[in-house]
Amino acid sequence: MATDKELTDFLKSVEKRAWKRAMYAVRDEDAALDIVQDAMIRLAEKYIDRPAAELPLLFQRIVSNATMDWFRRQKVRNAVVRNFSDFEGAAGGDGDFDLLETLESLGSTLEHESAADSVSRAQILQLVESEVAQLPARQREAFLLRYWEELDVAETAASMGCSEGSVKTHCSRAVHALAKALRAKGIGT
Amino acid sequence: MNAFVRIHGPAAREAIEARFARNIAARLSERAENVAPEIGERLRFAREKALAAGRSARGGAQVQSAGDGSAILGFSRSPWWQRIASILPIAALVGGLLLIEDWQTRSQISVAAEVDAALLGDDLPINAYRDPGFVEYLKAPPGE
Repeated sequence: MATDKELTDFLKSVEKRAWKRAMYAVRDEDAALDIVQDAMIRLAEKYIDRPAAELPLLFQRIVSNATMDWFRRQKVRNAVVRNFSDFEGAAGGDGDFDLLETLESLGSTLEHESAADSVSRAQILQLVESEVAQLPARQREAFLLRYWEELDVAETAASMGCSEGSVKTHCSRAVHALAKALRAKGIGT
Repeated sequence: MNAFVRIHGPAAREAIEARFARNIAARLSERAENVAPEIGERLRFAREKALAAGRSARGGAQVQSAGDGSAILGFSRSPWWQRIASILPIAALVGGLLLIEDWQTRSQISVAAEVDAALLGDDLPINAYRDPGFVEYLKAPPGE
């Protein structure tokens, strides 16, 4: 059973990321706060007997479910399904090999912050966030769970209710889409 | 880089994608740490609310586990005298109900016996009560 302190520390460590994640999905500050609060309460009330090590995966699943509940309540499920099935266009057929070069170049740019020559650091961060928010829902979910929440592929798949292969595909497409979008905005070139 | 990927194949590609993704994630974390103070405060409030709910749930669970004893006869861990003590009120209740039922049966029998004795001891034959005219006579007020 997770102790009170473990639960407090865990919630402190994830609350901002969870809010951002919900924000990317619902694009409404108050709704995102409601989702995070509901998720925190559900975790604290119903999974209090679980060990602390299980909290991250449980919490991510609860946030995902709470977000879906919100969409159901808003009766925009059709729009969500449309976004969820939007697997086209991100990777494209325009030369994976060139894109890999772009990826490496972008990775290096972001690591060494040389793009700050023309655009301020804050603007770059905002741009990155904006591009992540514009990813198709499933790609964004996979990308954020896998690389931001640092779940492994199996955990991400369990959290999203899909296969590990789908997680890899979503992540790869998200990375390529982000690389293309950032390159188009003049970052990493 | 092209040669690197050609030689190492999908693994190299995955490694580059992962490195890029972690870079992006680091930027997202940096941005998430700088949320507006109002949002941070509301998140803190939400966390405290959740923790209070968790404490309440934990307390409820403890009370439930502690209360698994005599009240609902789930006294597997209580000593023998506590088990007997918890049975006594129920035994007293059942005994009382049996006594009340016995007393009611006896009183009904007694009333029936009194009626039977009065009927049998009367000079009037019992069949007279089956005569409608006699019944009307009995119902009529005296002096009519």
